[in-house]
Amino acid sequence: MAEAVRKRKNKGSYFDFTLLFILLFLLGFGLVMVYSTSSYSASLDYNGDGLYYLRKQLISAMIGLVMMFFVSFLKFDIYKVLAPFAYGISVILLLLVKSPLGHTAKGATRWIYIGGFSIQPAEIVKIGVIMITAFLIIYLQNRDDIDNTSFKYIFIVLAPGILAAGLILFVTRNLSTAVIVGGIAFSMLIMSTPRCFKAYLLLILALIGIGLYVLFLYLTIHKTGDIGALSKVGFRSERILAWFNPEKYADGKGYQTLQSLYGIGSGGVWGKGLGKSMQKLGFLPEAQNDMIFSIICEELGLFGGFAILLLFVLLLYRILDIATLTKDFFGNMLVGGVFAHIAIQVIFNVCVVTNVMPNTGISLPFISYGGSSIIFLLTEMGIVMNVARYADFTISPNVVKRTGEVKRANLKKRRGMRVKQKEEGTEET
Amino acid sequence: MEQNRNKRNLKGSAQDVAIRLGVFFFIVLLAFVGLSVRLIFITKDNDTEYQQRILSQQAFDSKTLNAKRGEIIDANGTVLAASKETYNVILDAKQLIDADTDINGNYDPKCKTATLNALESIFSIDKGELNAYIESVPSSQYYIVKRNVSFDEMSRFLPYITKPKKGEEETSLYDEHVCGVWFEKYYTRFYPQGPLACDLIGFSLSTGQASYGLEEYYNDILTGVSGRQYGYLSDDSVVEVTTVPAVDGNTLVTTIDANLQMMVEKHLKEFALEYKDNAREGFGANNIGCIVLKADSGEILAMASYPNFDLNDPKNISEYYTEEQIKQMEEEDTLKDAYDALWKNFCITDSYEPGSVMKPFTVAMGLESGRVTGNETYMCNGFLEVAGHKIHCHNTAGDGLLDVKGAVAKSCNVALMKMSSAIGKDIFLDYQSEFNLGLKTNIDLAGETRTDSLVFTDATLNESELATASFGQGFNVSMIQMAAGYAALVNGGYYYEPHVVSKILSPSGSVVKNIEPRMVKQIVSSKTSDMIVDYCNAVVTDGTGWRAKPAGYAIGGKTGTAETLPRGNGEYVVSFISHAPADNPEIICYVVIDRPNVSVQEDAKYATIVSREILTDILPYLNIPMTEAVSDKEREELLQRELSIYTNRVAMEDASGNEVNEEAKENEQ
Repeated sequence: MAEAVRKRKNKGSYFDFTLLFILLFLLGFGLVMVYSTSSYSASLDYNGDGLYYLRKQLISAMIGLVMMFFVSFLKFDIYKVLAPFAYGISVILLLLVKSPLGHTAKGATRWIYIGGFSIQPAEIVKIGVIMITAFLIIYLQNRDDIDNTSFKYIFIVLAPGILAAGLILFVTRNLSTAVIVGGIAFSMLIMSTPRCFKAYLLLILALIGIGLYVLFLYLTIHKTGDIGALSKVGFRSERILAWFNPEKYADGKGYQTLQSLYGIGSGGVWGKGLGKSMQKLGFLPEAQNDMIFSIICEELGLFGGFAILLLFVLLLYRILDIATLTKDFFGNMLVGGVFAHIAIQVIFNVCVVTNVMPNTGISLPFISYGGSSIIFLLTEMGIVMNVARYADFTISPNVVKRTGEVKRANLKKRRGMRVKQKEEGTEET
Repeated sequence: MEQNRNKRNLKGSAQDVAIRLGVFFFIVLLAFVGLSVRLIFITKDNDTEYQQRILSQQAFDSKTLNAKRGEIIDANGTVLAASKETYNVILDAKQLIDADTDINGNYDPKCKTATLNALESIFSIDKGELNAYIESVPSSQYYIVKRNVSFDEMSRFLPYITKPKKGEEETSLYDEHVCGVWFEKYYTRFYPQGPLACDLIGFSLSTGQASYGLEEYYNDILTGVSGRQYGYLSDDSVVEVTTVPAVDGNTLVTTIDANLQMMVEKHLKEFALEYKDNAREGFGANNIGCIVLKADSGEILAMASYPNFDLNDPKNISEYYTEEQIKQMEEEDTLKDAYDALWKNFCITDSYEPGSVMKPFTVAMGLESGRVTGNETYMCNGFLEVAGHKIHCHNTAGDGLLDVKGAVAKSCNVALMKMSSAIGKDIFLDYQSEFNLGLKTNIDLAGETRTDSLVFTDATLNESELATASFGQGFNVSMIQMAAGYAALVNGGYYYEPHVVSKILSPSGSVVKNIEPRMVKQIVSSKTSDMIVDYCNAVVTDGTGWRAKPAGYAIGGKTGTAETLPRGNGEYVVSFISHAPADNPEIICYVVIDRPNVSVQEDAKYATIVSREILTDILPYLNIPMTEAVSDKEREELLQRELSIYTNRVAMEDASGNEVNEEAKENEQ
């Protein structure tokens, strides 16, 4: 007991500076790009105040950093208690969008006004879902009466995520955020349990369903050119049609994608130079927001685009590392959720910008303009740092970093355990 | 402890999660690699193409700034032609639809309703029609809702789209839902005096294009240079909007006196209406023209012809043709000819045989060459046989014995034929070109005719032609040629190039160019000139032009009656050219009536009467002192005329301030 107490004291002293520096770099770079992309439209919209968006983003980033440090210093055990509340509060905030507190901008009601600040509750819901899913996984796996490959397990783990996704879709009519929330929950499910073929089956079924729908659209409308049939299948289908051929729908849903491609293509290898984008001058809608990656590629070229992707790889690697070295299962799931969130959002964003995926509004984490997004992403990073700081480590991460051998040994040990586990499993059945 | 651990591993553990996370990470890496490849391909395949597309989009940002066309004003500053700002109301349907559609594609026509209501209340457009258009072409970004909207009307719409200042929110009409409407500024030409001097001024219906008259001749000077506005990226990567401002056109100050012009036009129209449908269907003459110019500078004071047209609406010919006729002309494709006939300036574009107005020129040739001394006498028996042809005098009974002065005064053809045979072919041809007959006078108006193929050459001038040429038959001239030549004959012999514009002013009002009278040459000596003046005075005192004498003034002049081709069908061009005052000519007034609408056209009195009417008005107006006694009746008439001039002038001043020339029109009718 005394030993345990001593261990805990030691744990609090660790701080993942590498992660912090990568984060700060991404944030700083994001601010530069937000200024570059928004100064023109800001000076048009706000009487020559080109700093408008930058200022707002800077304030949000500061709040986010404060939140991050605050969250990272909380006692780790609190999270287990906090999880259901976090989820509950986030869902209530989401529902408030439909209340008089709801705030409409750009034709979409996605914000709530509290004390002079507008917040996008969908961003909070992401944290809530990560926490509650991790909580449920731990709860279910500690119970012997539930098989963690059964549909029952799958359903319970996914339930809060699917509920939240449904609410987001219903309340804010924001499909992309709903998909991300669902994706986070599903990723955590897969991470949580070994050989969960039923989960994979669900994934494959969903993909086949989407694939068939896209194929149907491709064959009925794109091939035949029968635009009239569009009214029957709904407006979202037009985005998919625009995805097949953005030039054909350049007047409508294909416009943004096409402009985005123009931006990337015209940048070349080294770009036009920082601040010299032409697409940001009113041609590319949401240049400082969802489409910021296109402007990065235009101004800094492929080089800049790759650099950003590499930074995200580093960030994800650091998160993976923390997850790898954490012995605490709950902490592990939390970090895994954050990992899934950032990975999904980066990949989706770049896919949209490069027209690999139909156009939908997904922002680039830490870089795109958007106060709620950056504040709550940083809060999530605070949780990751908290795990790195307090959760039960098999081996001190400092030691691991210095001697790769120890780490390899550790992995070997784990593999051995898995073999053992497998044997035991077969014995049981 | 170990047991417990194994159980947890079975259920899934941190270590297990780490492995699956590793797989996850690997998948993410693969996705990133895939996206990188995608990025490379986008860049590699489309580098230059996309760059050009972006540049071509940027080009949309540049636009032309229209220059304001310069004004045309008369010698006293009365505006004859001006340009005013007008606007087209443009609707961007796509912007409206986009504003009404939220991110998820829900459509709520708030903006459309608000915008259509605002448009309806200000521009009184048909809301339903516009709505139908928006629904049928939702992608349209340029639809002209209304053309030719004045600045005032346009600015009444601005409150809808201008954010109110603090404290004015409540009274403001501002509605954030009104969008997709913008105004396209351009200049339209308008002519405050309506039909006044229409042939002389010409008209400009669209930017940079002008037809007829001063507008066409001085088009480059009036048009100005259009500017350009374009955006580019500066070194600081800010969009710099560079404006090359439009340079407005220059203003023309003409020598025309609008009052004088109005008097002249009034009398031409009076004649045209007085003899309307008299001997045949139609106006008082096919064409009536009048030029008033200064004898010693060639400055045109008035130049008019009838029929005329409203410069603000040149295509409106309903005054002269019935609807059926217009329809018929459209079918026969002759509408253009009708327009041409109406729009051309009779005084400079039409050529005709001058008739006896030529006689002073012939006499001047004789005097100047010495072949005629002025002391000769000629016997007229009513005809002369030249080269086997019997050529009649207009007085077939014969004028008897005449001296040179009498020959001019009585307009005796026989005496002139005898003079021309004395002058001879070579001298006649020399002086024909010396007097500029058949050549352009280079007056600064578009469409001046050149009649060099219609005057005599060495090959065409035979004996009988020489005889008829002496009294102005057999060759063609234009009114301006005769007027300019006659001015030289009576002003001491100095030939001035006739001109209309005296000054070119910059848009700010400073003088760009002064156009001084241009003396080209001396065509006769001052002695000859004096004799011609003396002879021509006799035309009015003792000869054919007696009807032309205006009350209170002594004038000189020469009548003309020329038979048109083909000969013998009784069609004549009658004319009277006059100078005033008689002893020291300052003003030349030349009236030509092309085939007067009377049963016997061969009578110059029609021209002399119109001349008298005009001169009676304009000489007092020009403050030329009266030298002759005025009878009570004449005094009464003069008073009446003066009064009507004042009322006309008031009407004109009113009209110049207004776009529509209603009052002036009423006064004319």
